[in-house]
Amino acid sequence: MSLFQSATREVAINLTSRPGARLVTLLMVALAFIVFDTFLIISWNLQGIMDREENLVGMEVFLQRDISQAQGLVIGDNISSMPDVKSVYYVSPQEAEALFRAELPGRADLLDVMGNDFRLPASLQIVFEPETMNQGRITELSRQIGSIAGVDDAVYGEDYLPGLLKTVTTIRRLVILLGIVLVSSISMVVFYTVRLSVVRRSLTVDIMRTVGAPWWFIRIPFVIEGVFMGVIGSAGGLAISAILSKVLAGAVTHRFMPLSWMTLVILLGAITGTVGALAGSYEKER
Amino acid sequence: MLVTMTGVRLSYGRWPALDKIDMEIKQGEFLVISGPSGAGKTTLLRLIWMGDRPDSGLVEVSGFRSDRIRRSELPQLRRKIGIVFQDFRLLHTRTVFDNVALPLQVTGTGKRTVQKRVISLLARMGLSHRRNAFPHELSGGEQQRVAIARAMVAHPVILLADEPTGNLDPEVSREVVELLLEINRGGTTVVMATHDPRQVPAGKGRFLFLDKGVLRGADRWTELDSET
Repeated sequence: MSLFQSATREVAINLTSRPGARLVTLLMVALAFIVFDTFLIISWNLQGIMDREENLVGMEVFLQRDISQAQGLVIGDNISSMPDVKSVYYVSPQEAEALFRAELPGRADLLDVMGNDFRLPASLQIVFEPETMNQGRITELSRQIGSIAGVDDAVYGEDYLPGLLKTVTTIRRLVILLGIVLVSSISMVVFYTVRLSVVRRSLTVDIMRTVGAPWWFIRIPFVIEGVFMGVIGSAGGLAISAILSKVLAGAVTHRFMPLSWMTLVILLGAITGTVGALAGSYEKER
Repeated sequence: MLVTMTGVRLSYGRWPALDKIDMEIKQGEFLVISGPSGAGKTTLLRLIWMGDRPDSGLVEVSGFRSDRIRRSELPQLRRKIGIVFQDFRLLHTRTVFDNVALPLQVTGTGKRTVQKRVISLLARMGLSHRRNAFPHELSGGEQQRVAIARAMVAHPVILLADEPTGNLDPEVSREVVELLLEINRGGTTVVMATHDPRQVPAGKGRFLFLDKGVLRGADRWTELDSET
């Protein structure tokens, strides 16, 4: 039997022995990951809400009444070539009136009072890149756009925008901070759980040392066991979280996390499991 | 010389475990190291298989020096040493055969060689009929014989036995000591640590007495014996 075959046999023995203890370890790892998964689901949904809010960060540019649609579109093209401008949409007087009537049905009579010749001004709806947007930049853009010939007025949410941007930034920072804290604590839980399960088998490590097993022969089975427990535990946690998410979907509308995040969760499980197993075996092997 | 210790000192924290140890062990010798509990017998054996390194002084075993040996070389040294413990230290999830085969499997020895060597050794130890049993199904004496078989399977140049009879009744203890003497007659150096050196008949080996981490010479036990 080659050394590799012997090592493979050790891995098989390790994975099949003490099923009870292994199950407890897996449950601990899975439970830790359920907490983490819940946080990720909340973050993912919060991210969606914040993205939607940020996409509202924009400006309404009213054009002078004597500007034709062709001229308005040219102004729109000029604005869309400015840095930090995500999109520009031309709203004709007819469309503006239709929007007014749709959004403020109780005040539609105001338009009728103004007479048949009255037309709402054409405007440009501008959406900015949310990543680069801040109060200073938006004020600067407002000044630039306001000075373009044919532009009557540039309006943005001066009252609510600073608060919105600040809130979104604060929430993002809090989520990142909480994420770091959770990743650290989950890693510690998995690390110590796996390490403990390895240390429990210190006799095996002791015997392996005294009979002259090479260090990798002693460690590899534990490392594979660590990867196994990390991956199965985190995948199990994901599965339970997915079931819980489905059960709660009727009561709370939300989305489950994307596939890329799930892959990262399993990767985190594998890494922490491996590190825990390595630390446990190293501790006993010295 | 198979083992040489020169001016060896080792402490665990502030507690000195061994001090001023100078000794030599020759090839083919049967050495009995006796002394009360806590005298440093186990520590002395650990220094030989380099489970510990001395704080000062030098241990040299079969060409490996404690001050030069690299971590990666420790397995090579340990393959030359067989170790038997008081508590047997058998793997309870493996059969007698697998426990004995372990030292060969960790060196990648061929399956047929392992089979041949283990079966022959189990026959010599009178354990052929127990080869598929698990350690918990064996008596204390049988477990210790399995441990000795495991220690001998890879043809070590030295066998270290740390209180090998500590958990056994007098009758089985005699059998185990006889087995160690037989192994020694086959040419293997045996170092046996025991709190009761009377288990080894006089004239069958060299006796050293260890007290509070210091070697007190060969005759100390005889003195103690005559005092009682």
